[in-house]
Amino acid sequence: MDGNSGFFYTFFNLEIAAQYAPALGAGALITLGTGAAVVVTGTLLGLLLAILRALDVRPLTMAIVAFADILRSLPPLVILIVLYFGLPEIGLPLSAFLVTWISLSLALAAYAEESIWAGISSLPAGQMEAARSTGLAWWSAMRWVILPQAVRRAVPTLTNRIISITKNTALGSVVSLNELLNAAQGASSMSGNPTPLMMAAMSYVIIFLPLVVFSRWLEKNWVRG
Amino acid sequence: MEANPILSISELRKQYGQTEVLCGVNLSVKRGELVCVIGPSGSGKSTMLRCCNLLEMPTSGTILANGHDVMDPKTDINRMRQDVGMVFQQFNLYPHLTAVENVSLALCKVQKRKPAEARQLAMASLERVGLGHKAEAMPSQLSGGQQQRVGIARAIALQPQIILFDEPTSALDPELVDDVLAVMRELRESGMTMLVVTHEMAFAHAVADHVVFMDGGVVIEHGTAKQIFENPQQTRTKSFVSRYSSRLAH
Amino acid sequence: MENLIHNFFNVQVYADVFPHLLRGLWTTVWLSAIVIPLGALAGLGLAVTITQVQSRAVRWAVIGYIDFFRAFPPLVLLILVYFGWPFLGVELDKLTAVVIAFVLNNASYYAEVFRAGLEGVAKGQMEAARSTGLVRWQALLYIVIPQAVRNVLPDLVGNSIEVVKLTTIASVVALPELLRAARDAQALVYNPSPIVLAAIMYLVLLWPLTRWLGRLEHKRIR
Repeated sequence: MDGNSGFFYTFFNLEIAAQYAPALGAGALITLGTGAAVVVTGTLLGLLLAILRALDVRPLTMAIVAFADILRSLPPLVILIVLYFGLPEIGLPLSAFLVTWISLSLALAAYAEESIWAGISSLPAGQMEAARSTGLAWWSAMRWVILPQAVRRAVPTLTNRIISITKNTALGSVVSLNELLNAAQGASSMSGNPTPLMMAAMSYVIIFLPLVVFSRWLEKNWVRG
Repeated sequence: MEANPILSISELRKQYGQTEVLCGVNLSVKRGELVCVIGPSGSGKSTMLRCCNLLEMPTSGTILANGHDVMDPKTDINRMRQDVGMVFQQFNLYPHLTAVENVSLALCKVQKRKPAEARQLAMASLERVGLGHKAEAMPSQLSGGQQQRVGIARAIALQPQIILFDEPTSALDPELVDDVLAVMRELRESGMTMLVVTHEMAFAHAVADHVVFMDGGVVIEHGTAKQIFENPQQTRTKSFVSRYSSRLAH
Repeated sequence: MENLIHNFFNVQVYADVFPHLLRGLWTTVWLSAIVIPLGALAGLGLAVTITQVQSRAVRWAVIGYIDFFRAFPPLVLLILVYFGWPFLGVELDKLTAVVIAFVLNNASYYAEVFRAGLEGVAKGQMEAARSTGLVRWQALLYIVIPQAVRNVLPDLVGNSIEVVKLTTIASVVALPELLRAARDAQALVYNPSPIVLAAIMYLVLLWPLTRWLGRLEHKRIR
C-alpha cells in the first residue's frame, strides 16, 4: 500500500476534482433546489394537516392520524420507490425530480403535522377559550393566538426533522434524479477514482453542517411559549 | 329604565355523561346590576357561568343574553360574545403578546378596527384598570393581580353589555386580591352589568346588588346581599353563610 | 382499476414472492439487531464523554464529530465507505461496509439522545452516589445511566425505529434486505407488486412500534 501521497492521490485528486467540478456543481444545485422545495411544501402541508386536525372532526382526524402513522412507519426509500412505479400506472408519469419532491414532502409533512399538533395540544385550553370569549372566530383564534404559540414550541423538533428528511434528497439518485450523489457516482465510475465521491461527501457536509449547528443552537436557546 | 333583564337564564340543565351538574337553574341579571353567585365547590356555579357565553354547551334550557338566544343555532356566536365578556380564574392572557396587544387583538380582528384606533381604545381600557404604564409588558413580566386586571381590560375593551367573572380572584395571592376587587368596584360604579362567581364573601356582602346561592346544581336562595348574608331563609344557605359570618364576627 | 390491481395488488405474485421477501425481512431484522446495540453503545460512550470529561477540547471534538455525522447523508456515507474502502487496499465485505456506515451515522443520533438524558439527571444524583463511596464509573453505571435511559426511552425507541427504516438504504449496495429482495423480485416477475408487498410488510413491522412510541410519548408529557 502506498503512503500518504497515495491516499491523497486516490481520494483528493485535484485533477479529477477540477475535471468533474462542473458536473458536481450542477448536481449540487439540484440537491439544494429539491431540498428547499421539500422543506417548503412539507412544512406547509404538515401545518395544514395540523390545523385540520384541530377542527376536531372525527373522520378527518382519523384520516390524518392514519396518514401520519403510515408515512412515519415507511422508510423514505420505500415511499419513493412505490410512487416511482405507482404513479405512472395511475396515469401520472412524473419526472425523477417530481417523484422525489412529492415523496419527501409527504414524509416531512407527516412529521411536521405531529410536531405542530404536539405544540397545539400542549397549550392550556384557556387560551382558546379566552380568544373565543372575546368574539374571535375559530380561524382567527387559531391564526393569532394558538398557532403562533404552537409553532414556536414545535420549532426545535421540527428543525431536526427537516434536516433529516432533506438529507434524503440523496435517495433521489436511486430513481436517477441527477442530484449530487448521482453525479458523483457517475464521475467516480467514469474516472475509476473515488475523488468525486469524496467531493460530494464534503459538499453535503458543508451544506448540512450549518443547519445541524443551527438546530443545536436552537435547542439550547429557544424560548418556550 | 328597561324592565327586561340583560341576562335571563331559565331551567338550565347540563349533563356530563350520567352526571347532572346543572339541574334547572333560573337566574336573571338586570342592567347595571352586580350579581354575585356564591356556593360550595361543585355546586355548578362556574358551569352555569360558562354556559352563558357558550363555552359549555347546555343540555337544555334557555339563555337570553342582550336579546341573543344563546342556544339558538342560528345565533351568531361571535357577535353574541362581543356583548358578553368574560374574565377567567386563570387570566388566560396570550403569553406571546404584550398587554396592550392582548387587549387590542379582538378590537382589530373581530370589530375590524384600524390598528391606531384599536390601540387607542386598548390603552384607554388599560388606563381604566390602572395599567397604562404596563402597556408594552409581556404577561410573564406582570404579577398575578396585574395579569387579571389586563384580563378585565381585555373584556371591557369590546364594550360588552355584561361581563361574566369566573372566580376572578381565586388564583391570586391574598395581597393582590384587593387591587382586582377595586377595579371591579369601579366598573360597577360606572354602570357595568356584572355576573360574578366568587368566594370573596366580604366583597359580595358589601358590593352586590343581588346575591344568588347555588348548591347541587340549583339556585337554593337569592335576594339582596343583606337578605342572604344577614337573614338567610334556607337551611343550606344558613350553614354556608354561617361559616363566613363566624369569621366576620372575629 | 383492474390494471392497478394486477400491477400492484396481484395476489398471485404476492404468494410467489413472499418466501423471498421473508428472507429479505429476516436480513432487515438481524441487520437492525446488529446496528442498534452497536450504535446505542457507541452513542452512550460519546454522550458519557461529553458530559463527564472536563477538557473543553475533548468535548468540542466529540460534539464536532457528532455534528459531522449528523450532517452526512447516510446513503452518501454508505457509498463512500463501500466504494471507497477498496481504494485503501482493504477488502471489505458488503455487510461490514454497511454496518460501519450505519453505526457511524447512527451513533451520533444516539449520542444526542443520551446526552439529553444524562444532562436531565439531577447533579445531586452523582453527588449522593459518590458520597456513599461509589467510584465515578460505578455511580454512572448504577445510578446515573439507568435514570438517563428511563428519561429518554421514547427518543431511544424512536431512534431505533429510524434504524430499521435506514436498512432500506443498504438495498442500494445490493445487501439482500427486504427492499432489495422486493426489487429483485420485481425485476424477475416484471410486476411492481413485490414492492407494494414489501411496503405492507414494513407497515406491519413498524406501524405497531410507531403507535407504541406515540403512547410512550403521551405518558411522558403527563
